[in-house]
Amino acid sequence: MPAKPDPQTPMYRVAYTRLSDVQIGAALAKVAKAGPACASPLSGDLAGKSIRIVTDKGPTLDYKFASDRQLGVSEDGGNAVSAGYGLLLQDHISLIAHLIPGTMRGYASVIDNRSGIATLFELWFGGYADKREVSREIYGGYVAVAGKPEPQRRHKASNRAEGKGFYWKQDTGFESLEYYPSAAYSHFVELTHSGNEMGYCAPSDYLRIDDDYYIYTRVECEFSGTLTLYVMDLNRQQQIGLRLGFDRLDALDYYLFRGKGEWLGQIAQFEKFGDTAGNVIPPPDNAKKGERRVYRPLQTMPRMSRAEVDKAVAEHRRVFASRTGAGSGASGMATNGVPPVEALACREFTLRYDDGPAIDYRVKDAETLSWRMAGGAWTEARYQAWESMPGVILFGHLLDGMPNHDGHMIVADFDAGLATCFNGTLKGPYFANEACARTLFGVVVGQGVPAPGTLRHQRTREMLGRALTWNYAPGLTSMHLYSTPQTVSWIIFTDSGAGGMAWSGPGDFVKIRDGLYFCYWLEDACNGTLGTILINMRTMHDAGIGYHCGMEGLSMSQIGAHGRHAGKYDVTRFFAGREG
Amino acid sequence: MSGMENDGIATRRSFLKSGAILAAPLGLAVPGAALAADDRAMRLARLEDEAAIRALHRDWLVRVNGRSVTADLCVSARAAACLGDEICGIIQDEDGVVEITANGERASGYYPCRIETESRMAAENTFAQMALAQGGGVTRTSEPRLLSVEYAKIADRWVIATVEAGTA
Repeated sequence: MPAKPDPQTPMYRVAYTRLSDVQIGAALAKVAKAGPACASPLSGDLAGKSIRIVTDKGPTLDYKFASDRQLGVSEDGGNAVSAGYGLLLQDHISLIAHLIPGTMRGYASVIDNRSGIATLFELWFGGYADKREVSREIYGGYVAVAGKPEPQRRHKASNRAEGKGFYWKQDTGFESLEYYPSAAYSHFVELTHSGNEMGYCAPSDYLRIDDDYYIYTRVECEFSGTLTLYVMDLNRQQQIGLRLGFDRLDALDYYLFRGKGEWLGQIAQFEKFGDTAGNVIPPPDNAKKGERRVYRPLQTMPRMSRAEVDKAVAEHRRVFASRTGAGSGASGMATNGVPPVEALACREFTLRYDDGPAIDYRVKDAETLSWRMAGGAWTEARYQAWESMPGVILFGHLLDGMPNHDGHMIVADFDAGLATCFNGTLKGPYFANEACARTLFGVVVGQGVPAPGTLRHQRTREMLGRALTWNYAPGLTSMHLYSTPQTVSWIIFTDSGAGGMAWSGPGDFVKIRDGLYFCYWLEDACNGTLGTILINMRTMHDAGIGYHCGMEGLSMSQIGAHGRHAGKYDVTRFFAGREG
Repeated sequence: MSGMENDGIATRRSFLKSGAILAAPLGLAVPGAALAADDRAMRLARLEDEAAIRALHRDWLVRVNGRSVTADLCVSARAAACLGDEICGIIQDEDGVVEITANGERASGYYPCRIETESRMAAENTFAQMALAQGGGVTRTSEPRLLSVEYAKIADRWVIATVEAGTA
């Protein structure tokens, strides 16, 4: 995999260094005694004081704060060690962070100074096979005060932050969009440094302090492994937080930050009314400390060479087969699909793309067409078609004989004379079985079809920020989040209707008519499927086609699901000036 | 044609046609003086058979709902597995009907119930793989069905020969 760690390289393409214990330990040793950096003034409120944090199922920590930067800490009555620390205050909430010198561990504590309730995060490197990935264990607890009873409540894992979204700007100048469409994952878009408008997903924790304050974490698993932890004040739209981890150049980030935010909106939740539970994904069986279920798509994606792809495609091409087998991309995603139509049968027409080929079609019946390119020989192909709106036909077929195993997923508006094609190919530089896509705009030329002149379908921002649920089949429901002009994130619901695991990939969005949008997503570094859907926002039904290559061959499968509009985040302003 | 076969297993069709009528004699109170002694013995035997079959059915239900059906309740291991792995629960609110053949060697039971099924989705697309990875991916359904059970009496003990979950 190319290892260009420049900011525009998508995170899933960066070959992050597998750091060793020695490398991690050496980097931590440089900062453990000094404490975390911070662009804002740190608080000296604890200087000269001692506190004891008692946790329910974890350690008891005795702190003596020698100054505003140095502390001594004893774990479970053990010998005290000296470390640098940082303290940030936000109203009545404190965030304390420090490492344990000589180890790859540290702690972050969030304390509600009114109630004395505390949540302790134990943080460490080396808890996962890729040691740069930060692990965390969360302990509920309190600050023990002599003569004062122990508070009965604890900060609680909750789904009450689910559906919210914020723009954040840290005191470092770093800007991001952070979506919380799941109770177990989050989606983040780095507006600073990246420039590629991609969003990414990470396992997250959400703990409710009270109605105003929530604790949020994410660990950028499968990417840099960096932890971000902050307390957010929903009403004041402020945050105090910690960032710990190694960036794509292996430099250590260890700093506290303050941030100011802007509210992006609230999308719907789908749990039963009254269900506010957090921790919605059960831990794995016999989970070790800090272990949780994490979606790691590269562990299960078959990686094929170009020769393996050519062989698999030559041996097995399955176009709209009823079932194409395990791992075959979009198979099984059309139980709730719309039925195919015969609208193209017996028609002849040409699709002329502006920056692509002109393809002549002769359609024999509801499942067979012939195509030719540039006046060449006719090739017969199996296809299926769906009419999402009167006069608008989605159809797809493979182009046998093309060196990159092209598949065309086409929306042709016969009333307007316009066509848009998502052209899937297998020619990517990363994994040979990973689909690539390009968007072709063009016209339909045929008897009775109006000539549109220079008019074309256009890329659109009308889907940007929207979240739509898609129920493909009983028990199989996802939610799409169109988080940037070129990102589709998908969130999988748990049995209780909570947002669970999430992932994302590149996408494109084309407006076909009012209320009708043609979109694709690429499962880059994640099964390699190209999913294309024509979304009808009036019927709330989509019709789509999946294009996928795996060990079982090349397949083209129907996609179809019942939709629900979960809401829209107000993010268009963050992508201004880059329309189309 | 009578709803009950002479010496065969009563069919589900026969139950649907006249099950309520056929079931009634087992529960009717008939003056004892009107019955001959052997009739009384036969009737007692049939009541005992019905009680044994219903006890067997209750035992079987407990095991189905505990997902631990064992062959000792059935004529064979194949019979024990005839309902399919996807069925994870049977909720029966009505007693149903038990019909015993004239020779007392076979019987049929018909039980209106709700059958709950559970099936694990195939990992054939990314979304399904993610659902499975997060500990989900199991589809559950619950629908009204008519449970048709055939029984055989072997060595003076009733066992289950076949079980079918048909449309209610």
